[in-house]
Amino acid sequence: MIAYVLKTLWRHRTRTLLTVTGAAVAMFVFCFVGSVQEGLHRLTNGADADRSLIVFQENRFCPTSSRLPEDYSRKIKEVPGVRDVMPIQVWTNNCRASLDIVVFNGADPEQIQRSRPIKLTSGDWSQFKSQRDAAIVGRNVAQRRGLKTGDQFSIGEISVKVAGVFESTVPSEENLIYTSLAFLQYTRGLDAAGLVTQHEVMLTDDAEPDRVAAEIDEMLRSGSVATKTRRKGAFQASTLSDLVDLIGFAHWLGYACVGLVLSLVATTTVMSVQDRIKEYAVLQTIGVRPARAMRLVLAESTLLCLVGGVAGTMLALAALGIGGFAIGAEGATIAFRPSLGLAVSGTIVSLIVGVAAGLAPAIQAATVPIVNSLRQA
Amino acid sequence: MALVELRGVSKSFSKGDETITPLDNVDMDIESGEFVSLMGPSGTGKSTLLNLVSGIDRVDSGTITVAGTEVTKLSRSRLADWRAANLGYIFQTHNLIPVLTAYENVELPTLLLKLSSAQRRQRVELALEAVGLSDRADHYPRQLSGGQEQRVGIARAIVAHPKVVVADEPTGSLDTETSEQVQVLLQRLNKELDITMLIVTHDTDVAQIASRQLVLDRGKFLEKGDEGSMSSQPQPTPHLFQQ
Repeated sequence: MIAYVLKTLWRHRTRTLLTVTGAAVAMFVFCFVGSVQEGLHRLTNGADADRSLIVFQENRFCPTSSRLPEDYSRKIKEVPGVRDVMPIQVWTNNCRASLDIVVFNGADPEQIQRSRPIKLTSGDWSQFKSQRDAAIVGRNVAQRRGLKTGDQFSIGEISVKVAGVFESTVPSEENLIYTSLAFLQYTRGLDAAGLVTQHEVMLTDDAEPDRVAAEIDEMLRSGSVATKTRRKGAFQASTLSDLVDLIGFAHWLGYACVGLVLSLVATTTVMSVQDRIKEYAVLQTIGVRPARAMRLVLAESTLLCLVGGVAGTMLALAALGIGGFAIGAEGATIAFRPSLGLAVSGTIVSLIVGVAAGLAPAIQAATVPIVNSLRQA
Repeated sequence: MALVELRGVSKSFSKGDETITPLDNVDMDIESGEFVSLMGPSGTGKSTLLNLVSGIDRVDSGTITVAGTEVTKLSRSRLADWRAANLGYIFQTHNLIPVLTAYENVELPTLLLKLSSAQRRQRVELALEAVGLSDRADHYPRQLSGGQEQRVGIARAIVAHPKVVVADEPTGSLDTETSEQVQVLLQRLNKELDITMLIVTHDTDVAQIASRQLVLDRGKFLEKGDEGSMSSQPQPTPHLFQQ
């Protein structure tokens, strides 16, 4: 009977093609929205989100406005539960939400290599460590900006030479550019000698993050600049708070896409069944059970939805993989990455929506009044 | 016991404020292997009776038993199973599935039975051969003439080896020459395959090929014919009939 289903879809190929295309576009958007939500979730709930702290200047938000003494790191190290401290100078081309945010993190190259979950895919660490204006570039930035090892590029007052391109298990890392701390501190316009934007605190395994954070702030209260210390995940969520609201709203867009596919496929299937009411009456006269007639319609709607949905999902994953998209604000970035989870959820949603879309027309086909339908011209 | 038994069958319809009773306490028996034609003016319940025997419509009262099964008691699903195994239906307007080839249309009923693919193929090929359309197996309905379409419809009705074949105006949409060919075919199927047939027709020529003619008027059988005269001689026997 599958031949009957396939041939029926082929009979109205324009309608089939339009429905499949509509489902594909909607599932494309659904996956894109899903990838943004996944990115935010990874950023705020990742492995290091709770085991690292960010020390930032109190009541400051944009990285350009936070100016902490670099030597705070020495004092922070003395707090029990602190394993390591990395002073970081942050520079970004845009403090507002942007789809093409470029974020430089200046830190000690040795510390970067030691503490960051990154691996060079091209270039080498020695050049990065030895050359003052050398930078290693995250894979997504390199992809977006077309950068490769050996390139020289400038943005604003900063001009660097690409010493390597790295990939990371933490997707947001791949939207960063690392330079040495001194290079960024002495960049014209920053005027940040001896100052950093933030201190990243790595905790010991048994440390209680909130207690350590409170102790750091308490200890530095007597310093020249008051601080606000938070878990890295909470800090990033707070930094991206405007975007978080927007992304929270965007998940409704995802649901809207699912609704769109549902109504599109349901409409097509209803039309298809209504066009063929007599055919279903004939099939049941021949001996096709109502439940089987129902399954034929469900197969039709599920097939339409699966083909469109899976195509849209695959296209979205390909676009996410190739595009290296990210959205960021105030120096924090959310990476849009393809994932197995997105592929599976896209397929499952397509399957469920396909079945749901076919239910009403399937019942119509199964309960068709045979005699009246056979009388139809 | 007759193959088809109707006892006290009544059926009414509402049409606006009016109630129409095409069948009123009707009794009828059809013996195995019989060829019965049913005639009568329009709206007298011929097709209704056919539909009730086929189980695609429900009686208001009375019982219908076909081959020992009281079809009036079966659920919609069980009726579908019963039809798949026991009944062939020939429509006036062929009602072939347009996206399927002649072969696939004939194959449809066999897909509902527990048959191996080889058995299915054999039955479909024999059925197509019986109606003289082996060479049109790969044609779609739109590529066939009206007469050929009806022959495919007949092949579809007999392919599952049903106990009863019912036909609702099987020649109603055909020209005279094609109608005669179909009549001959139906007659042969009855005689040589011993298929019990009940056909509804307005055409007296078609009715005459039946061994018994019944006339239905205002819900009752008015007249019962005896052995009907044959209007055509059987044609040479094709492969199917030698099985």
